[in-house]
Amino acid sequence: MSQLEFCIHYPFTSVAKAALEQSGIAISDRIVELALQRIKTALKEGKVAKSSALHDSEKIENIASYAAARMILGFSRNRFLINAYAVAESKRASDYLDGESDEIIDKVAGEFNIKTEEKNGNLLIPVHIYLKYSPRDVHYRLSNRELANGYVKLKSRHEKIRLIEGAIKKHMEKIPLVKSPPESIKIAAEKLKEFLPKIQRQEISFSLASGEVPPCIEKLLDSLKKHENLPHQARWYLAVYLIGRGMPMEEIVSLYSNLPDYNEKITRYQLDHAKKKGYAVPACATILTWGLCCADCKIGSPLNWQKLGKADRESLLKTGRRI
Amino acid sequence: MNDIDRRIALKFIAEYYASAEFNIFQIEKREFGIGLIKKIDARHLAFDSMEGFRKYLLTNTPLFVSHSTAYYEFPAATPIEKKSWFGNDLVFDLDMHSDGKYGVYHKLEEVKQDAIRLVEEFLLTDFGISKKDILYVFSGNRGYHVHVRDKNYLDLCSDERKEIVDYIRGTGLNYENFFDINESGRIIGPRPDEKGHRGRFARAAITMLEKEPVKLSRVFSKDEIRNNFITGVREGNWSRTSIKDIISRLKIVADTLLLSTVNTDAGVTQDLSKLIRVPNSIHGETGLIAKIISDINNFDPLKDAVININKNEAKCIIFTEDVPEIEFANSTFGPFKKDEKKELQLVVAIFFVLKGSASFCSGQ
Repeated sequence: MSQLEFCIHYPFTSVAKAALEQSGIAISDRIVELALQRIKTALKEGKVAKSSALHDSEKIENIASYAAARMILGFSRNRFLINAYAVAESKRASDYLDGESDEIIDKVAGEFNIKTEEKNGNLLIPVHIYLKYSPRDVHYRLSNRELANGYVKLKSRHEKIRLIEGAIKKHMEKIPLVKSPPESIKIAAEKLKEFLPKIQRQEISFSLASGEVPPCIEKLLDSLKKHENLPHQARWYLAVYLIGRGMPMEEIVSLYSNLPDYNEKITRYQLDHAKKKGYAVPACATILTWGLCCADCKIGSPLNWQKLGKADRESLLKTGRRI
Repeated sequence: MNDIDRRIALKFIAEYYASAEFNIFQIEKREFGIGLIKKIDARHLAFDSMEGFRKYLLTNTPLFVSHSTAYYEFPAATPIEKKSWFGNDLVFDLDMHSDGKYGVYHKLEEVKQDAIRLVEEFLLTDFGISKKDILYVFSGNRGYHVHVRDKNYLDLCSDERKEIVDYIRGTGLNYENFFDINESGRIIGPRPDEKGHRGRFARAAITMLEKEPVKLSRVFSKDEIRNNFITGVREGNWSRTSIKDIISRLKIVADTLLLSTVNTDAGVTQDLSKLIRVPNSIHGETGLIAKIISDINNFDPLKDAVININKNEAKCIIFTEDVPEIEFANSTFGPFKKDEKKELQLVVAIFFVLKGSASFCSGQ
């Protein structure tokens, strides 16, 4: 793989940054337009398109479009756009990594200080790195992992790539604020407004006032508000709970539109499916196993929240304990 | 507690603070909180130096003083977003609830053993943290704190810390996943020489088989049958038994692995904005020192965490409730009845007063 090819695949690396600086390319209107397209595809399709650039000049433009996209988002300061773009860029890189040699994978991993070791045929990773970049998903829970001497055993090469994807996403979410960019960047940021979730939380009629829902649901709603990505179990639990509480489907869809990888079609399909199947709200023990429990309510099922007295509810939301 | 009680207690605590040894790592990067009535009445305080901190304690002596487990560029700034966070110690809070005010003191040894297990089995062995980065501290009342200052864990966020607590408490751990059935129908499971939860599980099973075999099955009370099974387990073969439901019976072993005294509800480990009692400060509900412990195995809180000044001074107290017999500072006290008057060594008198079981006699 040529150096330029590497930079196109992984434009967030220090090598790509250096290549861009060396090329002396300016942020022209054309680059901003390419950047805008890059972000739009990310928002529409949940993934950034892979590059089909043939000539070196096109390749440099592709890398520059990444840099310009970061400027646009840095100027927009919009959490939803930034997080959605981060998910899409990290998925693109992850797709490329799937087909790469170990050497290239390690080169990208090195950008984030991810160092794995092979010992007796096992792939090991330092636990603090594992915790930082693994998805909060039941399959990756530390409780069910082999951990010794500060290292977690990875089950496959794919898991390593998944961790690198997590690191890229985190890196993308930490975008530096851009205060006074060129006019073209400002205009591009303005154009992205149409991609923001249409229905705002204020318009939701269903009561979700603080104290009405248990702390675990409150926490998930809070994550949605901040446009954080939720793991599968969390989305499923929240949906089943809200359906169980009788929240209208349209309002659940609008809540989910806050997710950075929101896709209306898939969301509607999954919500309809959950409603049709009439899934029961999982017991607190299950929520605990999924790592979604955050208070000691002692209510057995999240649906028993309403039966608690006001003082207990307030105490649980504040301290995580009953009075 | 009335004003006289408070005045006498605070005077005594201030005398202790005049020469107390503190070991506050990066004091200038910590937020402090103090309490006179509640554990924390005011927070967002900051100190540039140990001298400044001591001066504050001597002039505004509080009943409780805590510092953040977090490090900030501007620890006194409010709201919290302006503090500019850059990391947290990894701190564990182990405690126990018990009936009555004094019941817990009989259980502190149990909490201490859990603290030792937390450090030896989990932090040193599984997490590979170095001993020099770990500090044992008595909480001053119902349990122990374990402070970890390993830079690898410094910038973990709340969710990531919760994963650590869940691992240690065994939350989400399904021991049945340790077992597989191989092609010839054998149950293949963990070996005692394995690391982490798996090895711990196999070792605990062998210990149970050796010490209390009937807990698993009466069949195992026969030496030959038990030893044959144990020999298999040592090699990871859990099939050398006629018991059909051996895997589900092993749940009792899995339950012994849990470190349930590691407190997750109060969120000490995962709440990044939490304040923790300053090591070697006084706990205002007991007058005991939240002592930094150098020899955990021989540490006895009701002896080693007692303030060791003004030993000859005695004060009269009147009990406001019945108090059971208690071992304190190398002596046995009580039981005491409500309205009983007693002249006691000052540190002992203060213990009962701060526990809310007595008041100083008037005219002192």
